[in-house]
Amino acid sequence: MSARGEASNYEYVTARAKSRRAALFDADDYRKLVRMGPGEIARFMEESEYEAEMNALGARYSGVDLIEYALNRNLAKHFNDLLRFAEGKLYDYIARYLRKFDAWNVKTVIRGLYAGSERQEIEDDLIRAGELPERTVDRLLEADSIEAVVELLDGTIFGDSLAAAYEDYEETGVLVPLENAVDRAYYRLLLADVPAEPDRATRLYVEFLEAEIDFRNMRNALRLARSGADIDPAEYYIPGGPLFSAGELQALVNNPDQLVEAIRSSTYGDDLDKALNDLDAAGSLIEFELALERALLEYSSQLSNRYPLSVCPVLAYILAKEREVDNIRAIARGKEAGLSADEIEEELVVQ
Amino acid sequence: MLEFVIAFVSTLAPLIQEGSQQAGSSPAIPAQAAAALAVGLAAFGAGYSQRGIGAAAVGAVAEDDSLFGRGLILTVLPETLVILALVTVFVVG
Repeated sequence: MSARGEASNYEYVTARAKSRRAALFDADDYRKLVRMGPGEIARFMEESEYEAEMNALGARYSGVDLIEYALNRNLAKHFNDLLRFAEGKLYDYIARYLRKFDAWNVKTVIRGLYAGSERQEIEDDLIRAGELPERTVDRLLEADSIEAVVELLDGTIFGDSLAAAYEDYEETGVLVPLENAVDRAYYRLLLADVPAEPDRATRLYVEFLEAEIDFRNMRNALRLARSGADIDPAEYYIPGGPLFSAGELQALVNNPDQLVEAIRSSTYGDDLDKALNDLDAAGSLIEFELALERALLEYSSQLSNRYPLSVCPVLAYILAKEREVDNIRAIARGKEAGLSADEIEEELVVQ
Repeated sequence: MLEFVIAFVSTLAPLIQEGSQQAGSSPAIPAQAAAALAVGLAAFGAGYSQRGIGAAAVGAVAEDDSLFGRGLILTVLPETLVILALVTVFVVG
């Protein structure tokens, strides 16, 4: 879609992304939503942004499933739009981040084949927002074995690491090596080929992704420290974040207090101060993770306001949209499970 | 973008110097021609800034039709540069 060397059209894409960001559900909408039943939520969505998807899927599904698939489809539509709008370097930057949906799709297909699911079931769970062309995804769906999937992905970014991991999979018979291979391929490319002397926009973008990686590492480390599971932290360490090195993380996981102290004194300390206090007081990891999400959203919208003509507003929109989809899903699933409005409200991340 | 300007100036400069040597005391660029150049360059700058604003305005209008008026106003704002530059023509002329 974009030729190399083409100029980026930041003005156009950021204008569209910002406009769409402004149209997302706000705190008022969420307050209304948590007080509705699943049927009412579906009706509310039919009258909003999600109208087309709700109508298209309405014949096949109902209830919470309908909401979930409509959310996924809408997300895919918007992110594909972004890729369609963007040109030049901006396209490359957006595609890097959106490849996480490629990773998700590949993992879903592999898991589906492993569990022997029906094709339709797998297809419904895909989020076609990534860079892989429609045709490739369709062919992945038609594959009848995991080996065929690995072969089909030969030549894509996942090809090499999947092929290497396939031997492991054959020996052990568990999916972990394959899934790890997909994740690592994604994160490796996230920060690969960044120019040696980045201009301002690139530096901001790298800053953004590094923050994302730091937060992911932080979350993994805290989970490990809290659960006390006997897992090697290096297995889950994602290189590239400035906050932790592999060695540091290894040492800190065994000592939760020091870990919290290390986060507090980092550059994110100010934003996370409240969350860290909560963590100390209540010891609830879920709340801390939600606070992390909130801090990442806040940080991204700060960057987006400070540098309007860069990739930041687009990524801030992507994060906010992902959060909205997660929020609505949490509300719908929470209602289905019979949680009270207050309990659900605690699960939401609203800016 | 900037390279073009530099190339333009570096080709023009020797010509002007040559001209001034031949003509002796009279200026290389007559006052009226300089004023015309000022208007042209101002229009060029206005056009360049409109490139970005126009793209953003079209993006905003594509999302929300009601922004058409506001987008149009913001897009033509840099035209004021040309009008201001036009003053030089009257000052000189």
